[in-house]
Amino acid sequence: MQGKRFFIAAAIVVAAVGYLIYSVTPGTSVYCYTVEEFLALNEPTAGRKLRVLGRVSPGSVQWNAEQGKLSFALVGSDGGGRSLPVAYPGIKPAMFAEGREVIVEGNVESGGVFHADTLMTKCPSKYEAEQPAE
Amino acid sequence: MNELGALSLRLAFLVSLYAFGAALWGAYRRRRSFVLSARSATYASCALVSVATFVLWRALVVRDFSLLYVAEYSSRDLPTGYAITALWGGQTGSLLLWAWILALCAALAQWQNRERNRELMPYVTAVTQATLNFFLFLLIFVTDPFERVPRMVQDGAGLNPLLQNPWMAIHPPSLYLGFVTVTIPFAFAVAALATGRLGDAWIRTTRRWTLAAWFFLTIGNLLGAQWAYLELGWGGYWAWDPVENAALMPWLTMTAFLHSVIIQEKKDMLRVWNMVLIVLSFLLTIFGTFLTRSGVISSVHSFTKSGLGPYFIVFMLTTLAASALLISYRLPQLRSDNELDSFLSREATFLFNNLLLLGITFATLWGTIFPIISEAVRGTKITVGPPFFNKVNTPLGLALLFLTGVGPVIAWRRATARNLTRQFALPFLLGTAAGITVFAAGYHHFYACVAVAFSVFVFTTIIDEFRRGTQARRALVHEGIGQALGRLVAKNRRRYGGYIVHAGVVFAMIGIAASSAFRTEAQVTVDKGESFRAGSFDFTYENAREVSKPHYAAVIADISVKKNGKHFATMHPEKRIYRRQQQPTSEVALKISPWEDLYVVLGGIEGREAKQATILVYVNPLVSWIWLGGLVMVAGTIVAVWPSAAEKRSLAFSREEVSVEAWLD
Repeated sequence: MQGKRFFIAAAIVVAAVGYLIYSVTPGTSVYCYTVEEFLALNEPTAGRKLRVLGRVSPGSVQWNAEQGKLSFALVGSDGGGRSLPVAYPGIKPAMFAEGREVIVEGNVESGGVFHADTLMTKCPSKYEAEQPAE
Repeated sequence: MNELGALSLRLAFLVSLYAFGAALWGAYRRRRSFVLSARSATYASCALVSVATFVLWRALVVRDFSLLYVAEYSSRDLPTGYAITALWGGQTGSLLLWAWILALCAALAQWQNRERNRELMPYVTAVTQATLNFFLFLLIFVTDPFERVPRMVQDGAGLNPLLQNPWMAIHPPSLYLGFVTVTIPFAFAVAALATGRLGDAWIRTTRRWTLAAWFFLTIGNLLGAQWAYLELGWGGYWAWDPVENAALMPWLTMTAFLHSVIIQEKKDMLRVWNMVLIVLSFLLTIFGTFLTRSGVISSVHSFTKSGLGPYFIVFMLTTLAASALLISYRLPQLRSDNELDSFLSREATFLFNNLLLLGITFATLWGTIFPIISEAVRGTKITVGPPFFNKVNTPLGLALLFLTGVGPVIAWRRATARNLTRQFALPFLLGTAAGITVFAAGYHHFYACVAVAFSVFVFTTIIDEFRRGTQARRALVHEGIGQALGRLVAKNRRRYGGYIVHAGVVFAMIGIAASSAFRTEAQVTVDKGESFRAGSFDFTYENAREVSKPHYAAVIADISVKKNGKHFATMHPEKRIYRRQQQPTSEVALKISPWEDLYVVLGGIEGREAKQATILVYVNPLVSWIWLGGLVMVAGTIVAVWPSAAEKRSLAFSREEVSVEAWLD
């Protein structure tokens, strides 16, 4: 098996896998930030797919049933400071609630509104209780 | 009572440490008494961990809220069944379950080989007990299952409602069984390296363990997918989440291992490769636990930062270093003289199958840890989502599917043109025809059509194999078709069991291809009585009502479904709020049929008298084929594992053989 053919076979597959990973990565990259990081960002993010983690600001949730649109604002984990307005054209996920941590994925076109095409609630852990006991 | 559990864990820690040392010392100084003592210690550590597990179990069932773990994961109103499964509802309980299964497997392997493999066993003992010792260390010093509550509580927090689902109740133990079982073949591989007995004895001895590991990993992954599908309400079954990937990767390498050991047994090739594969599989099972426990990669299944991470890293690096040293030390003896004669041969096909499986594993690993790599290299955390995994793994998976048809039937060494036409002409024609037919029928999706073509190709080769075998038997002995088929399988369980597993893979692949290429999705907000269309179905929102249950309050919508103007089904998606956790969950309404699943999620009800409803509908084609394929895979594995009549006889004799072997030693 240490023969020439073994290495040729390995080289073919390694090249194929390498090429696939190399060519697919740029188009599927999502840049991840927390709300604080994102709002403090200096570089332009247009055209990039973004993922932002934050807390749903209490009192900011609006649900437009006619258009099926959900809008809310994300704030940092301490709840204070600046906030990021988010528009999401979909229904509230089961565990979505004010004050909960959520992850939004999408982009910022103009006007500073985050257009989310995915909204994930952090699943209240399969593994640990909400407040880990110290 | 709970002190007994804590004490047992501490004793088990000492005993396993002793077993590790005694086994190695006994092997090094050739002192049989130490080896035997290490063996007894293995049984003792198993008994002690069992006691600890039962103590925690008892506490969960009797709702002893003086224990923190019980207070966090159980409650008075939790059904007893779920109180039992709460053992693996949280972190420390899961680790205890892990340690317990490992202790049981170690003892069982020890007992199976009490009169066999004398040279190997001390090292097997050392490896299993060292691993057990690591988990016991975590349970004693880092995350203690018997920790007391700081102040008394009247009632516990209860189990997460999402976990109160029968599939989720059995998914973790099945996965853990699969993960842990890998330790046994790994231990034998290390023993083979340590002793220099590098033939296929270690592979043959652990064949059942390997298959068992694969069996439980398969079931574990399927149950996880099933749970995600039924419970999470996003219409899919696989999201390439780190937790899912963690469970998939060892399955992939174990699949590779299952195939490559055949080549070692038949051709004495790939000896180094097999060593590498089993080490990799073991590391990936530990890495899987590490991923889910350490919080190193965040995912929807939010992980807590638990401080376990560094210990896992140290353990993995130690294992990796020790294994790499052993393999490089034995490299000269591991090399085999046999060469790959041709790319058109069974050996080469199996090799490509292995390389592809490893390629998929690598791509999956790369995508999973990409956030860490990019953060380290570029300072920005970049994740790659499901599109990455789908785009990279689909072509690799399809190539693998194709080889599933080629590998088992192509000739050894070098296939001739005659062999190729004889074996593959018909499957190739049928496959191509099927692919073209599907495309012509309007399903213009390249990968899906290729998947169908390859599936039909593989399935035809399998049927053809059964037909040939049955015919050959009937030509020799006078048997009916059914009888001939039954005996054919019974006499070659491994081979035909393997074919059955492959058939299951084919069904599952068709289901995966169809459901990912052709799913329809609609999200609407409609008034009472209003209809909308998705796929070939018309949905009407009829009404909604409120229901109050002891554990939760729910809103249930009634949605009638018509197909071609005829009544098809009435569906009742639900939104629940669990009182204790104040957590809303969606209960998906599912109408399963062989050709498509209707998957309806209730988004919300608004207005007076439930005037308006927001409804999310998925029409998922052929999803049930995936579960069917999974069942067939599981059934095929059972066929392959079941001892044949000849094996039963040889097992009965093995005691005598063994005593002869020992005498010759």
